[in-house]
Amino acid sequence: MRQVLNITYYETIHILRNRLLLGQIFFVPFLYTLLLGTVYIAGVLNNIPLGVVDLDNSQLSREVVTAFANSPYFKLNKQINTYHGLEQAMRDGTVRAGIVIPEDYAQKVSLHQNTKVLMVYDSSNLIWGYNTRKYAREVINSFNIDHTAAYLAGLGLTQEEVHNNMDTISLNMEVWYNPTYSYATFILLGIILMILHQIGLQSVGLTVTREKEQNSWLQFLSSSVPPWKIFLGKCLPYYTGGFFNYALLLWLASDLIHVKISGSLLLLILLGVIYILVINAAGFYISVKAANSLQVTRYIMLLSVPMFIISGYTWPSRYIPPYINKLAHLLPFTWMSEGFRLATLKGLGFHYLVSHILALTAMSVAALLPAMTFDKHRKFPG
Amino acid sequence: MPPIIEVKDLLQVIRKKSVFNGVSLEVQAGECFGLFGNKSAGKTALLHILAGIDRFTAGSVRIMGYDIRKTERFKSHLGLVTQERSLFQDLKVCENLDFIAALKKADSQNIRQVVEQLELQSYLNEPVETLDEGVYQRLALACALVNAPKLLLIDELIDGLDFHSYKLIAKAIKNYLSTGGTCLWAFHRVKFSAYMDRIGWLDKGEIIVYRPGELIKEYRNIFQINEKHKLLH
Amino acid sequence: MEQLNFSKVVIIMFKQGLSVMYREITYMWRDRGLRNLLLIGPLLGLFLFYATYSAQAIKDIPTAIVCLDRSDTARQLVEDMKNAEYLKVIAYPPNFQDLEELIKNGRVVVGIVIPEDLGQKVALHRQATVLVAVDGSNMIYATNAASAVMTVTHTISARAGINALVSNGINFSQAQEAYQGINIREEPWFNPTLNYAYFLVLALTLNIWQQCCTLVASMNVIGETGRRSWYQIKASGISVFKLFFSKSIVQVTMFMLLVLPIYIISYIFLHIPMHCNFGLLLLFTLAFTLALHSIGTLASSLSHSAIDSIRLGMLIALPSFILSGYTWPMESMPHYLQQAVKILPQTWFFQGINYLTFKNPGPAFIGHYFLILSLTAVTCYGVAAIVTLRK
Repeated sequence: MRQVLNITYYETIHILRNRLLLGQIFFVPFLYTLLLGTVYIAGVLNNIPLGVVDLDNSQLSREVVTAFANSPYFKLNKQINTYHGLEQAMRDGTVRAGIVIPEDYAQKVSLHQNTKVLMVYDSSNLIWGYNTRKYAREVINSFNIDHTAAYLAGLGLTQEEVHNNMDTISLNMEVWYNPTYSYATFILLGIILMILHQIGLQSVGLTVTREKEQNSWLQFLSSSVPPWKIFLGKCLPYYTGGFFNYALLLWLASDLIHVKISGSLLLLILLGVIYILVINAAGFYISVKAANSLQVTRYIMLLSVPMFIISGYTWPSRYIPPYINKLAHLLPFTWMSEGFRLATLKGLGFHYLVSHILALTAMSVAALLPAMTFDKHRKFPG
Repeated sequence: MPPIIEVKDLLQVIRKKSVFNGVSLEVQAGECFGLFGNKSAGKTALLHILAGIDRFTAGSVRIMGYDIRKTERFKSHLGLVTQERSLFQDLKVCENLDFIAALKKADSQNIRQVVEQLELQSYLNEPVETLDEGVYQRLALACALVNAPKLLLIDELIDGLDFHSYKLIAKAIKNYLSTGGTCLWAFHRVKFSAYMDRIGWLDKGEIIVYRPGELIKEYRNIFQINEKHKLLH
Repeated sequence: MEQLNFSKVVIIMFKQGLSVMYREITYMWRDRGLRNLLLIGPLLGLFLFYATYSAQAIKDIPTAIVCLDRSDTARQLVEDMKNAEYLKVIAYPPNFQDLEELIKNGRVVVGIVIPEDLGQKVALHRQATVLVAVDGSNMIYATNAASAVMTVTHTISARAGINALVSNGINFSQAQEAYQGINIREEPWFNPTLNYAYFLVLALTLNIWQQCCTLVASMNVIGETGRRSWYQIKASGISVFKLFFSKSIVQVTMFMLLVLPIYIISYIFLHIPMHCNFGLLLLFTLAFTLALHSIGTLASSLSHSAIDSIRLGMLIALPSFILSGYTWPMESMPHYLQQAVKILPQTWFFQGINYLTFKNPGPAFIGHYFLILSLTAVTCYGVAAIVTLRK
């Protein structure tokens, strides 16, 4: 144990003396979370710039326009008043949505002729696209409800009768787990888990390559310290740092960015303990095997985006082909990000996460075994 | 008593290139064995195999009776001074001593002893990175001696040092040998052969063992032949 | 005579430049790790991303219906849900608890509970409530599901309302008119099928590409000054300017060669829309490549080692895609962050790529982007040159 603690002590000293490494472990994750958290801090898209082309200019058409203008989702851009202008504004991004009310709209409506309001929205960015579509339908639905209520009142029905009629069958839509549709709640936790993954691998991944480059790895190889002690001693500071970051970043997300994190604290700790263990063990083993720091840095840097995308954290895994899903399920991030969402957002208990915990445990064992028993003989002498 | 080092038919092939083709060697306890050869003869490669750092292709190597492929036990009785700087660059002198002593499970009493012996007291708080060559080599030897090893493997060490460091190092090694230590010392200047009991000349993947006087004679012979050879062409 | 000397000097200078370029190409080729990374990385990314999004749009959102009522009204409602666009009813759990489990497990995203007395209540003109639960834990699902649900809900409650009015003695056409409301035709522009692959595959691949480029560019100066051969170069008398100019030409050319297959495969084989002139797209990419390379060069001139330089470069390159506003729109970021992210060339690049490939807003609009990217390049190269000349 004394040997392990000694290795830990000097690894810590190395981290403390190397400003860049210290920054990488304790400052960069914080900075990234703060920065990317700020990106999503609004949580929901509001004030979507909307262009209106009202070719009818009747009372009805103005009512439609007012319905959109009064909605917090949209913000009317009054400079646009022709279809051509709308087209141009959609092209250069001045507006992201538009409504076009055709000529004689009110008249045709009153004559029960077929006529429609055109709603256009920018789907070149599907975050705009999906949300605008949903918002537009919400606005129209509530406009129609008001219209019906007014019409029925006009027929001489009492307020209560109107209500009763309209709620004959009311479909009550409840959005569970993230009722405000907060994008921050949706995405930020995944990003935090990816930051921990990246920074963890990146830091531990250099712990042996650094020694190799300075030749001091020979001191370990020529002494009788068993591999598992080297692993434990060297990983302990990074593990502590990793777990510290796990706690810090989650706190940051929940308190500063108002991301919803609920669920059992014990479960969160358990997930964190295993996840950071996998990362450290894998990182250490990579470091033992890699030729130099440059190699480690280059490869690990490029992993984050593909791992995030194929994990099913954003684009649902049901729509991802099986072979990509299988590949993704070999990676700890996939299990962790899904399990984490189940625990924090859905607030589910242990027995819903058994498979996630088992998979992560299996992965940590699979990474720990080679990391703790690596061959202390070099294959190609340097 | 078995020999401290026992190498039989050592074969080392790296990337299809043969480095050792059947080296055999025995070093007895208390001996100072020199390993001579020019700069790319493979002295460091052999030393690294003996220290259990590098794999080898075939043959058997026993250190203090242990088969080095099967156990690491012999490493706790081993001291190694490498040719390239291999101490912890970002640590201070005292931290290096402390850390390496911990890795080797050495008695902390030993640290004080080697520090005094190699006169490192005034450098203890200096970072290793900025040390002079002489002081650095003294520290490297101190670190190698910190666990009072039974076998000391030295790669070069005293070439091109300041006189004071040279003296201290020579004295420390002499002292080490006088207390029953065994030493295998790689060098490439013939003049150092005087320090050795026996010398193995490593050339083209093979080793031939000489007494110090014989080596100098043989070396001169070859050197002169080469000179003549050059003149003829 | 003087003329001859001058041309000789030019030839020598040209030869020197060529030999530096040749050396740079050999370096990059010999570095097997880097070579594989550059050649395979972006294309592998393209493949992975395209495969991931190969379903292209969210259809058939898994839906479960708990139908506790056996009346015609209930059966009609189930039918309506089954016919709803984008919803796919895959389960009929017997009770709410089972439905809840299905949503918790993520097996279904939309759950509908039809109460046991629906038919009875409707017949007695009493209000009945149907619960529609949407799993909001994945936003891509949730927004699509909510939109799909909303189109059905209006139809269903309108029909029930009309029936109630008629049975209350109001004539049918009046009842219908009461519920007519406004009809709407939706037109998603630029990406009419709401294709997720079109939205993200090219941009994500370009993101991998720009990360690869950063890796190389951030070695530009330190790759030389950090080496022992730096003294050789200094002693050889070749001007530092010429050295890095020649090196940079090779690197920038290589970045462009690497991006070509991405564009070609995306356009020809994956049919990802590119609505602008291909030449303009390449020119725009070149402007970005120069800006990116200049930042990498600057990072490499400021660092003490190659690793530090790569870390510095990647510190910017890694989050830049999210910061660029390509996904979460820049307009919805806090005001000060909007200003801050405009410093990064990646922001201009990814924004520009979106405009160019989907909308093609015309040269006047994109000219602004060219200007800013060029300014970045000039500034960063300039500072890097000053820093390097002092070494």
